Amino acid sequence: MALLEIKDLTYYYPGSTRPSLNSIDLEIREGEFLLVVGGSGSGKSSLARVIAGLIPEFYGGRLQGKLFFQGVELKGDDRHILNSHVGIVFQDPEKQLVMTSVEAEIAFGLENLGLTQQEMFRRVAEVMTFLNLAPLRDKFTSNLSGGEKQKVALAAVLAMQPRILVLDEPTSQLDPVAAGEFLDLVEYLNKELGYTVVLIEQRLERCFHLADRAVVMEQGEIVFDGTPADAARWQVERQLPFIPPVAKFFASVNSSAVPLTVRDGRRELHKYLPIVSLQENTDRKIKLTPVNKEPAVLVAKNLWYSYPGGGEVIRGQSLSVSKGEFVVILGANAAGKSTLLKLLAGILKPDRGSVQLLGQDTRHLSLMELGRKVGYLSQNPNDYLFQDTVEDELRFTLNNFQIPDNGICDEILKKLNLYALRHANPRDLSSGERQRVALASILVAGPRLLLLDEPTRGMDYRLKAELGGFLKGITASGGSVVMVTHDVEFAAEYAERVVMIFDGMVACDGPREVLGESIFYAPQIARMFRGLAQGVLTVREGLEKVSGGALGVCQSR
Amino acid sequence: MLEQLSYKSKGTFLQSIHSVAILTYIAALLLLPLIITHPLYLLGVFLVSFLAIFASDSAAECIPFLVIGLWLTVFVMLCNPLIAQHGNTVLFYLPNLPLIGRLRISLEAICYGAAMGVRLMTIILAFALYNAVVHPDKVTGLVSRFAWKSSLLVSLATRMIPSAARDLSSAKDIMQLRGVDFSAGTFRERLKKYSWLLEVLLLSSLEGSLATAEAMQARAFGAGRRSCYRRELVRPRDYLCFFSGLSALLLAVYARVQGYTDFLFYPEFSSVAWGSDLFWLVLIVLCLSIPLILSWGWKHWPYLRSKI
Repeated sequence: MALLEIKDLTYYYPGSTRPSLNSIDLEIREGEFLLVVGGSGSGKSSLARVIAGLIPEFYGGRLQGKLFFQGVELKGDDRHILNSHVGIVFQDPEKQLVMTSVEAEIAFGLENLGLTQQEMFRRVAEVMTFLNLAPLRDKFTSNLSGGEKQKVALAAVLAMQPRILVLDEPTSQLDPVAAGEFLDLVEYLNKELGYTVVLIEQRLERCFHLADRAVVMEQGEIVFDGTPADAARWQVERQLPFIPPVAKFFASVNSSAVPLTVRDGRRELHKYLPIVSLQENTDRKIKLTPVNKEPAVLVAKNLWYSYPGGGEVIRGQSLSVSKGEFVVILGANAAGKSTLLKLLAGILKPDRGSVQLLGQDTRHLSLMELGRKVGYLSQNPNDYLFQDTVEDELRFTLNNFQIPDNGICDEILKKLNLYALRHANPRDLSSGERQRVALASILVAGPRLLLLDEPTRGMDYRLKAELGGFLKGITASGGSVVMVTHDVEFAAEYAERVVMIFDGMVACDGPREVLGESIFYAPQIARMFRGLAQGVLTVREGLEKVSGGALGVCQSR
Repeated sequence: MLEQLSYKSKGTFLQSIHSVAILTYIAALLLLPLIITHPLYLLGVFLVSFLAIFASDSAAECIPFLVIGLWLTVFVMLCNPLIAQHGNTVLFYLPNLPLIGRLRISLEAICYGAAMGVRLMTIILAFALYNAVVHPDKVTGLVSRFAWKSSLLVSLATRMIPSAARDLSSAKDIMQLRGVDFSAGTFRERLKKYSWLLEVLLLSSLEGSLATAEAMQARAFGAGRRSCYRRELVRPRDYLCFFSGLSALLLAVYARVQGYTDFLFYPEFSSVAWGSDLFWLVLIVLCLSIPLILSWGWKHWPYLRSKI
């Protein structure tokens, strides 16, 4: 018997005529690890909310169909019991925390269940010990890192001892290390403690292999339900992009087996490629200093920066960005990436050293003057959005700089696929669309240099491909892009140059091929081809390598 | 500034005290300057408050409070002689001013202003001490037993402040990069520009509250009768601090009723009965000093630490 069963469920959000979930049939079995994939707006989060008992109880709207928990049909107010049996962790670690300190946060759900003091203490103690949160017990939740916040959110849910754990893109706001730790924990909870897990995720490299079953959603419907390997084959056939690179590679070459991890992929790859001798393998060395003959748009020299009352964040960094260059900055959390970007944008002024933007020192330019030359996109697109329509957001920037429209608004809206949404309120849009509106609102000023702080955070593969294509278009037309990201797959696919930062210093600066040499920042495909072929970073390159280009036609976008 | 004013866990003795005990002690430091007028008593309580700030290892965090207090004290000291014209010991006369006439500056008025300044500083220090040693969750936890909705509201609001401050700073930078010059234009124009910032903040906060409300419902908030989680331990130090604050307060009330803490500034200073006045002063200050002595012992005397 299924632990939770959904039968022919259709759901409309209040005021909507289009169903967000359409004829959903789904069984979740005890102890299962179910992975739900799909694009933005495909209904993944709505499905998670139905499972957690938040739809329609919290959102309202119209729900048709049946919902069974342990074989008992839940009707109307009965669905409230799901709040106690299903725990959900949301994607934004900041917004889901209620209390000010860690211990109080974990106890919050237990207080709501009306448990006794003794029982609450036992559960809090157990969860804190298991997740190693005891050192953070009295800490303010607002002072925790993203990974710690998400861990506390998980602890708060685990303390309630749910039967099903629903994780709605829990790692989308985390850096790869924190995301990896979080998913390791989820794996342990499933494999060793027997928790039933429903994971909705966009970054599939670390979790595709963990799932027993994968569900693919499109436009509110479940379009595929099967094993992850079959899901990869099925998607490649239909040119859907929600597959991690290794699985995509093997599904694309019609391999009999579709490995899901790098280790299994390497074993399978030997069937396609001969093992390269050690001598041959070490012959080629990548030149680390990038060569670009185009004139420099931005030159940062010997930058030093400390936040008031804090230690040095940027330590003697120098960086030059040429016209038409696409540079990606990688590094661990707190390595100084975002600070460096703010220094380059002129938002922060260096303690020592200088930033020359188009030949002018940013210290002598006001932020307003800088806004015409540089477009800065922060991590949070909501900081840009407050006008009534998308079009007004763009006009706001134009009016401030007293730039005549001359059709630039329409042109940029069309380029970013926002033209149809130009009269919509930006706050009514999805996170990917908001990101594009924020980008459009800075692009109208015609900046020569774009500085983007983790723009792919929370984006699905399809949106990333769109953004990547758009940014490549900008660099092709002479603009320059500097992007801070944790997304090595995106960097491998679109960047020309990679800068790795460690502890406020540049650890490596070279062409994108350096990613293949990297131990931890290598994309999945590069790790799989390591020692077997040089310079292979993406699925496309891998396919070309094994087929000499002939198999390129097989691959999906 | 906001970072500086927020509670930081430092593992000090005063931070380890039970919320009821520390709140009683701080209430004593706060109420004593309000019920007594004697300058020696005010100085005594001020001194204890000042030492308590050092005992809580929070002198650096309290500097903003102290600076504000010091300016206010100077302001009161300067203003009071101009307003109060009752003192008999005239130090000098100000030049004749139209409408007001000739103001006389008396020693009594200056001393009264100084005493008021000390009173103000002591109250400010009590608030600073509260900020430095009382974890907000301990207070909300205490209040939640009888007013959990209000306590939750306070907790949510407290949690929102740091993120709202971050959002505000980020939104301002972005607006400037989008061509908004906050320093240009008339007052009305500048006000409009700042209202945009407020709009961004308000919209983000509303969206954030919706997400928080959803997370709360997902964790069974409102599902039924709530219980209250408390994990504060009661140790000997808590009793000592509780009774030190309470007894200081009771002694001060008694001394006030008996008139030992009264002092007249106008028209001239009343005489100080050194014997009885000092006896009660020493007693009150001694009571208030108990947590500070324990704090010292807790730090330097392992035996005492193990016993309290």
